Amino acid sequence: MRLTLQTLISHGRVARRMGLGPESRINMLRNILTGLVRHERIETTLARADEVRFYAEKLIDYAKKGDTDEKAMKMASFWLTEKDLVPKLFKVLAPRFEKHSQGFTRMARLPNRENLDRAKMAVLEYKGNPFPPLYPVKKENELTLINQLLKGYREEKTQELAQ
Amino acid sequence: MAACTRGLKNLLTSIKFCRTLQFQDERFLCTSALRFANNEPPKFVPPSKPVIINKTQTTASTRRFLSPEFIPPRGRTDPFKYFMERRDMVRRRKALNIPEFYVGSILAVTMADANASGKTNRFVGICIQRGGRGLGATFVLRNILNGQGVEICYELYSPRIQTIEVLKLEKRLDSNLMYLRDALPEYSTVDPEMKPVPFSPTGEVPVNKLKVKMCPKPWSKHWERPQFAIQGIRFDLCMTPKQMEFVQKKYAKPWEEYDMLKEYDTSKLEEQIFAEVQQEMNK
Repeated sequence: MRLTLQTLISHGRVARRMGLGPESRINMLRNILTGLVRHERIETTLARADEVRFYAEKLIDYAKKGDTDEKAMKMASFWLTEKDLVPKLFKVLAPRFEKHSQGFTRMARLPNRENLDRAKMAVLEYKGNPFPPLYPVKKENELTLINQLLKGYREEKTQELAQ
Repeated sequence: MAACTRGLKNLLTSIKFCRTLQFQDERFLCTSALRFANNEPPKFVPPSKPVIINKTQTTASTRRFLSPEFIPPRGRTDPFKYFMERRDMVRRRKALNIPEFYVGSILAVTMADANASGKTNRFVGICIQRGGRGLGATFVLRNILNGQGVEICYELYSPRIQTIEVLKLEKRLDSNLMYLRDALPEYSTVDPEMKPVPFSPTGEVPVNKLKVKMCPKPWSKHWERPQFAIQGIRFDLCMTPKQMEFVQKKYAKPWEEYDMLKEYDTSKLEEQIFAEVQQEMNK
């Protein structure tokens, strides 16, 4: 008699159950990952974005090994269903993250989907993408009185130093 | 005349004996040489260190081998727990010599048993599985005694175990030989009075590429399925190639090879732990 009920107890399981089964889950993640590599910023449901995040980072780790590495090439050609993205991965994304050792992706939550399901949505992007930032940096307003006075003070100081 | 020659001979032999006595001890030689060289007090020469040959411990293997129970499994437990366990494991290993062995080697284990005559019992068998990590590491020995298959699961670090001897050190094509339960009994029988086969402490461990013949189906598990990835069974005698191909195709999971979540790279961990364990053992 098996004392552990492997199917019912999920202690220590890291992979979420998605789609119709393990194969379907991998296929779904493959599609999302291909979309991410093509567009560098995508929005999906929160759970899918969270799952893809791990695979996206591991794919970059493999890409860093270089396209001469057999295992890296096999991984890239498996995970990217559109084969024109394989050179993009090795030539554009891998050099971009050369200096970083981890943390190549960023995930942010979005308002829930407008459909009946009101699903939790998230946006997932590779860092260093050409789009405007997800969290825009708020610049201080230069036209307030205090900022104008400070600006004048700084200019006077630089003039004094120059003389 | 004869008496004086005898006496002379004795004198000569005694002189020779004295001379040999003189030059046996190098210290004596050194001091005597110095004394003859110059009239200075002789320099202190420390005596040669005695060479202790420990005959109880067999020659340790010079192969680089880390027992699999030292490698922690993947999980969220604190590494400190495994560090503490490793310390205790090394302590036990200093008391009992746990030799290097693999699945497929033939071992003899003597365990303390209160109810047996002589308070110990000895079991000889082939190791079919090594499970568990840390202090709870186990190994299963299988043998067939009087036509009855017997498997005993021993804990490596149990205080009841008195000796573990490796009678034959070898590896097999798989790391799990549970299929021997469904194989013909001749493959699991081990002679209880087997003499240890000598093996060299250096060099590669021999791999026994034996392919085992099975009993007719049904088996306890579907050993032909790709999830077990068994190399050591003669499938061509059990099923047709078409059947084999069908089963391999139906139950294959080709995506598992590319699933990065299932990868667990232990090479760096292994090196660290190996260095640590070597250091602790040599203390």
